[in-house]
Amino acid sequence: MKVSYNWLKWYVPEVPSVDKLVDIFNYHLCEVESLQKLGTSEVDEDFIFDLKILPNRAHDLLSHQGVARELASLLNIKFVDPTPKYKIPKSHPTKLVKKIKTPKCRRYMGRIVRNVKIAPSPEWVIKHLESIGQRSINNIVDATNIVTFDCGQPAHVFDLSKVKDLKLQVRNANNDEKMTMLGGGEKTLNESMMIIADDYGNGLDIAGIKGGKYAELNNDTTDIILECANFDPISVRKTAQALNIVTDAKKRFENDLSPELASYGMLELSALIYEMCPEAIFEDIVDVYPKKQEIKKLSFSVNKISKILGLEVSIDGIEDILKRYNFQYEENKGIFKITVPAMRLDLVIEEDIAEEIGRILGYDKVKPIIPKINFKPKVNETYAKISWARNKLLIDGYNEVMTYVFCDKGEVGVMQNASDKKFLRTNLSDGLKESIKLNQVNMPLLGLDQIKVFEIGTVFTKDNEEMHVAYGDKKEVKEMTLDKFTDLVKNFSVFALGDIGQGTHGSLNSSSNPLHFKMWSLFPFIARDIAVWVPEKVSSSEVEKIIKNNTNELIIKGPELFDEFKKDGKISYAFRLVFQSYNKTLTDLEVNEIMNKITDKIKENNGWQVR
Amino acid sequence: MSKEVKTGTMHPLSLLANQAYEAFIEMGFEIATGPELESEWYNFDVLNVPKDHPARDMQDTFWIKLSAPTENFGVFALGDEKTGDPRHLEFSSEQGVRQVLRTHTTSVTARAIEQAGEEGILSCAFISIGKVFRNEATDITHEMQFFQIDGAMVGENISIADLKGVLTHFYKKMLGDEVEIEFRPSFFPFTEPSIEVFAKFKGKWLEMMGAGMLHPNVLHNVGLDPKKVQGFAFGGGLDRIAMIKWGIPDVRLFYQGDLRLNQF
Repeated sequence: MKVSYNWLKWYVPEVPSVDKLVDIFNYHLCEVESLQKLGTSEVDEDFIFDLKILPNRAHDLLSHQGVARELASLLNIKFVDPTPKYKIPKSHPTKLVKKIKTPKCRRYMGRIVRNVKIAPSPEWVIKHLESIGQRSINNIVDATNIVTFDCGQPAHVFDLSKVKDLKLQVRNANNDEKMTMLGGGEKTLNESMMIIADDYGNGLDIAGIKGGKYAELNNDTTDIILECANFDPISVRKTAQALNIVTDAKKRFENDLSPELASYGMLELSALIYEMCPEAIFEDIVDVYPKKQEIKKLSFSVNKISKILGLEVSIDGIEDILKRYNFQYEENKGIFKITVPAMRLDLVIEEDIAEEIGRILGYDKVKPIIPKINFKPKVNETYAKISWARNKLLIDGYNEVMTYVFCDKGEVGVMQNASDKKFLRTNLSDGLKESIKLNQVNMPLLGLDQIKVFEIGTVFTKDNEEMHVAYGDKKEVKEMTLDKFTDLVKNFSVFALGDIGQGTHGSLNSSSNPLHFKMWSLFPFIARDIAVWVPEKVSSSEVEKIIKNNTNELIIKGPELFDEFKKDGKISYAFRLVFQSYNKTLTDLEVNEIMNKITDKIKENNGWQVR
Repeated sequence: MSKEVKTGTMHPLSLLANQAYEAFIEMGFEIATGPELESEWYNFDVLNVPKDHPARDMQDTFWIKLSAPTENFGVFALGDEKTGDPRHLEFSSEQGVRQVLRTHTTSVTARAIEQAGEEGILSCAFISIGKVFRNEATDITHEMQFFQIDGAMVGENISIADLKGVLTHFYKKMLGDEVEIEFRPSFFPFTEPSIEVFAKFKGKWLEMMGAGMLHPNVLHNVGLDPKKVQGFAFGGGLDRIAMIKWGIPDVRLFYQGDLRLNQF
């Protein structure tokens, strides 16, 4: 969620500097995904934190007030409560009627406001909205958006003239019921989806997700209905997903909001509209709230909290935190009993409190220890077999590969796949053959005269999964179950666990293991051989040196001696050189140039001859 | 030049997995292995993932096309018939067992802890490295298949301090002695408290894995009494450690069958 630093400052004027705040968020609350600076001068400067609010705190932290309250408690700084400022003139009796026809609507508050004037928003509203990437539309719509981002309660407004007889209902849609949405586009609904409608079949809004075109405000609108409601999170998520609609309201409802928040939202929304339209006439709020949210108690012990965190926490320390967070509590001999605030739906069990204490204090307070427990680990036979098979194949000169589990035919299918491969492999051999083909082409690059590969992995048949071993070369690939492969070895306990994989690493290129991966070029390579006749007393390294000195950075492998023989007091050395560029496809011409240079240099020596 | 057979080269992930296993074995952990095709129970329910959790959506998880229930599915050690354990109910439902390609090896860890509990072997500590699957578009940091390293320790007094000690040891073994680690707040359904583990490597803090204290519901689901035992769990990508350790630029390179990868 995007959080504006200036907006936060309204509520926590003593908030630390931006840099400090980034660390405070990261270490005590949630990850700062990005930080963006807005404005060019000190006057219009702002900083926008993109916070990855954790799912268990999405009930209360997807709002500026929520984040500000958290910071005030966490840092023990002043919170400026805006509530006393939220005032409206005395409201009038109303004839608005609301019915909830589905249990998935947990609360529905509505209020008629007459004599408003649709106009541009005041400057501060536009600034707040634009700072977090929202567009200002008009004063009334902006007021609903400010409420959403300020206190976390999504709000909506209908044009009253469209609601016949002042009757509204929350109900399930009919199958194939259509609704044209705000901003265009028609959606086809079904009976699992919840909508707000009048009593005459006109749909006004997909509950908790998005408003419809039908009751949209226009420049002539003077009378409106304000809505602050609460909906079942699962229903909202599923409907939004089925209709492929993502809105800020949906994001909040699907995370489960406290129905208690609706009344605060209505208070703030009414006050904002009054600020923008001082002539407005407010009617009484209609509040349908069939089942009030229960007040929850939670008890925990200081000992258990300390035991979970591995950190000695004191009664005083916990009391200090509870006070800062305005929790009502009783304490008796290290056992606390707290009243969970309505918005803190995340606090249910003792462990939740351990998390609160842990993150508030900071996990850096927890000092690492290595547990001194006499565990009695057993040998895992499957792993021992895999290790044995791998070592055996490595010793026999096979190189290990891993290939894809997904393929385009098989016996076990997946319901959906982001790629076009919808089946699981029934064998390793097919993948291995592809691997051999690929590596065969690269043989000169690899410095191998034969490609031998293996894979150990799972294959899937209709009713079973099985660990297989496959190995082979370009002529033949053999495949069998791991058990069959290891039948030779009866007793795997002979493998001391510490021996696993020892003496089997080693790279193709060098004797010592490199610390850093070297990415290969994606351009084709060119391999050349050169054979040189020299007097018998000349060593191969002398020839190699001359070749090396006359090549450039395009040589990526070699010179590698691959053949030598003696005849008539002379000796022939044959070297392989591989050329490749990281930026382009090499031409024969370029390589010829290098080879000619090498040839010329060799010929300069007495008795040396290029064959 | 010699005619003797040149030893083959190991896949970097196998090499790293072996090193990781060694690091944990030194601390008394036992290796656990388990099926890649997993029941919904062990992949999600056991781990306290809510029924309606987005992770269960088809967009994220590979669900297996159902075939008729068969005897062979009995290989999965499911609940107790007599007690009417829900595991059994789900198993015997007429639609057959809903199966997924496991999305984490935490399922393996859960099975291992369950078995240790049944055999009365507590305290226990397990480490499990294996292939896992996520249904997502691939790019340089995302693959449909990758390796996860997952572990847990359960006992009477196992705490976040132990978790920190164990992971510090592990990352020093993996990335070098100068590595530091730190914990930041996070959220997972199967742990409470939940933690994100960061490691400082070459001067930069990098997100390495998720961890935390096993949620009491998880302990309960594997047949343990959360009032008597507690424990930690952690899990993260092995591919990611390999990419950081060796500077491998693209996760997809691991599964091409290209031997140019075997440089270590």
